Amino acid sequence: MFSQLGDARTGKLADNLSGFGRTLRRAGVRVDAARMALAQQAVMLVGLQREDFGAALEAVLVSREQDRMVFRELFDAYFRNPNVAQKLLAQMLPSAESKAEPVKRRPRVSEALAPVRAARNAPPAREEDKIEFDAAMTASDLQRLRQADFNQLSASEYILVERLARDVPLPLPRFAARRTRPGVRGSRPHWPGAMHHAARSGGEVLHIPLLQRRQQPLPLLVLVDVSGSMERYARLLLAFLHAATAPRHTGAAVRRDMFAFGTGLTDLTPAFRLADTDAMLETASHAITDFAGGTRMGDSLGQLRLQHARRLVGRRTLVLLISDGLDTGAPEVLERELAWLRRHCGRLLWLNPLLRYEGYAPTARGASALHRQAHGMVAVHNLSHLKDLAASLASVLRQ
Amino acid sequence: MNSLNAAPVPASIDALVQALQSVGYFADRRLATAVFLALKLQRPLLLEGEPGVGKTALAKALSEVLSRSLIRLQCYDGLEQREALYEWNYAAQLLHMRAAEMLTPTLRTDVSSLPPEGALAALERPGGGSVAPMATAARDIEAEVYQDRYLIRRPLLQALQAPAPGAVLLIDEVDRADEPFEAFLLEYLGEYQVSIPEIGTVRATATPVTLLTSNRTRDLHDAVKRRCLYHWLDYPERARELAIVRAQVPGASEALAVQVAEFVGRLRSQPFANAFQRAPGIAESVEWAKALVALDTIVVDPEVVSDTAGILFKQREDVAALTRDMAVQLLQPADADA
Repeated sequence: MFSQLGDARTGKLADNLSGFGRTLRRAGVRVDAARMALAQQAVMLVGLQREDFGAALEAVLVSREQDRMVFRELFDAYFRNPNVAQKLLAQMLPSAESKAEPVKRRPRVSEALAPVRAARNAPPAREEDKIEFDAAMTASDLQRLRQADFNQLSASEYILVERLARDVPLPLPRFAARRTRPGVRGSRPHWPGAMHHAARSGGEVLHIPLLQRRQQPLPLLVLVDVSGSMERYARLLLAFLHAATAPRHTGAAVRRDMFAFGTGLTDLTPAFRLADTDAMLETASHAITDFAGGTRMGDSLGQLRLQHARRLVGRRTLVLLISDGLDTGAPEVLERELAWLRRHCGRLLWLNPLLRYEGYAPTARGASALHRQAHGMVAVHNLSHLKDLAASLASVLRQ
Repeated sequence: MNSLNAAPVPASIDALVQALQSVGYFADRRLATAVFLALKLQRPLLLEGEPGVGKTALAKALSEVLSRSLIRLQCYDGLEQREALYEWNYAAQLLHMRAAEMLTPTLRTDVSSLPPEGALAALERPGGGSVAPMATAARDIEAEVYQDRYLIRRPLLQALQAPAPGAVLLIDEVDRADEPFEAFLLEYLGEYQVSIPEIGTVRATATPVTLLTSNRTRDLHDAVKRRCLYHWLDYPERARELAIVRAQVPGASEALAVQVAEFVGRLRSQPFANAFQRAPGIAESVEWAKALVALDTIVVDPEVVSDTAGILFKQREDVAALTRDMAVQLLQPADADA
């Protein structure tokens, strides 16, 4: 039906459309060939009147709310003058035309390559060097690093500890989901299973298997303070949480929402979806614009409440607030926002690196509000505490 | 024959806008274009938007316009295939098996004495002449147990098997179901068919008009989105909201309807929107207009606003945020217009 319309007009249109599709793709809107073909059909149906044409393309080519504005701007520009679109695109995406830039290596890749090169260029290693290198990983050293505060590590130790933190497991607490699976501790009969058994014994129902509720990890929402005093902890804990809650470790997909806050709130959830921890850290640090600024926790939490309240799923979300409690905002705002957060989540936990000091008391205004509102306070300033985190979470949840 | 009763698909976008308006749904042209394409291209349409902007209402209006029955699948956490697609009536099947077993007593003794795994294979062994009639009997029972009447049809299958004009299927709040559930939808959304291992593939007799709605508590999987057209439903502009209030609340005077539309429209716009967690949807403004009519309100003033704030907002913080001063500010230009 559509191919019969394939005259000179459509030829031009097809070109324009696929050009537009390429432009969209470069702007990060996912458009595949099937969609482009569908777009062409759609345009045939609605005609070329500008508004309908745009709406039709939007219905077919856009599938996320975030992409709508990009689409509209590009559409306006492109179908007025494709050259304008190119310029616009260049403005929107500074990196779109920088192909000449050398390919950036992920830290892990460059690390993997580095020793090979060094070995090639360096003179043959002496015996003593080798011995020294081996000594770096002795048990006593590891023991020391396990107890060492993250903030007091040398640069090279920090890198090592950050690597080690990625291997620390964090078995998340689970809840009984509404979904069921066959199991011995069930309460509802599993009829298909009963049929299956009955068929084997000639229609005799000798045994009725049961359905039990599936256990799923609690959804997680992490708020990490990226003010100056928290810089080192923030990076390390992000790496730890990213690796520990990855689907390959937890066995089930965990809902993870991540936010960084300083003077404002940054959504790190998209960065957290990257599989590679190094890539996550890089994307996250690009996204955070208020690194090492002050902390206005109350305002940031207000932003969370107004814009992302739906990230707190079904009042069962486990909220981890990583902060030292040194807040420069208005204390009554903080108190109010924390109270809201406490009411809307399953458990609110405060991970506080300042617990490294013996006899620490939450006396700062922000800290005392946090102490009042949080369900529990957990230390996270060294590796051994990270290892205990799962147990601490479980004990707070039991309260 | 049924198709004579069914209204045809509107031939143009304008016709669709008109038709929807005639059943009390005021669609803007962009939305109408998306719906028109969904009908013509026979693709599912995914609607996203804030609560109360008319996603579900659109499905109802469409079923009315097309005079097709509306089949609704409300999604929830833990929704399973057996509640959405189909389920076998196991109790009836078991009874059937028992009855069949009693009627053919030889089957029982012989089959149960065989090792369970190889039961059917042994029955069908070519050499075993004596078991051949039993094999037929077993196969008959199997065919009888898995017949159509023991199949319980859930919404998706119902939609596929709806007679001639087809149905309108609304898969409501698909984001409430968990991610694994989306996989059950893929075959339906892509091919309008459902595969049942015991029977085979059930194809649509008439392509159902399929609408999915989502409140975006999470992002849907790309595999679902790829199979659908997409439309983001925004809050309506003032004129459209006014038309909706007029149509839904015939008791409201013209002046009151204008004030309601104006007030709610301004609530949703900056700088006021920032103060609230959730702006009121169209559903709320209609409810509010109804409440004002019930209270015999002639002109909206700050008193009335604070008395009825609970209809516009459903959160204590939001109700508290709508202060008297703000109400005065919100009402000011509306009064000036009037």
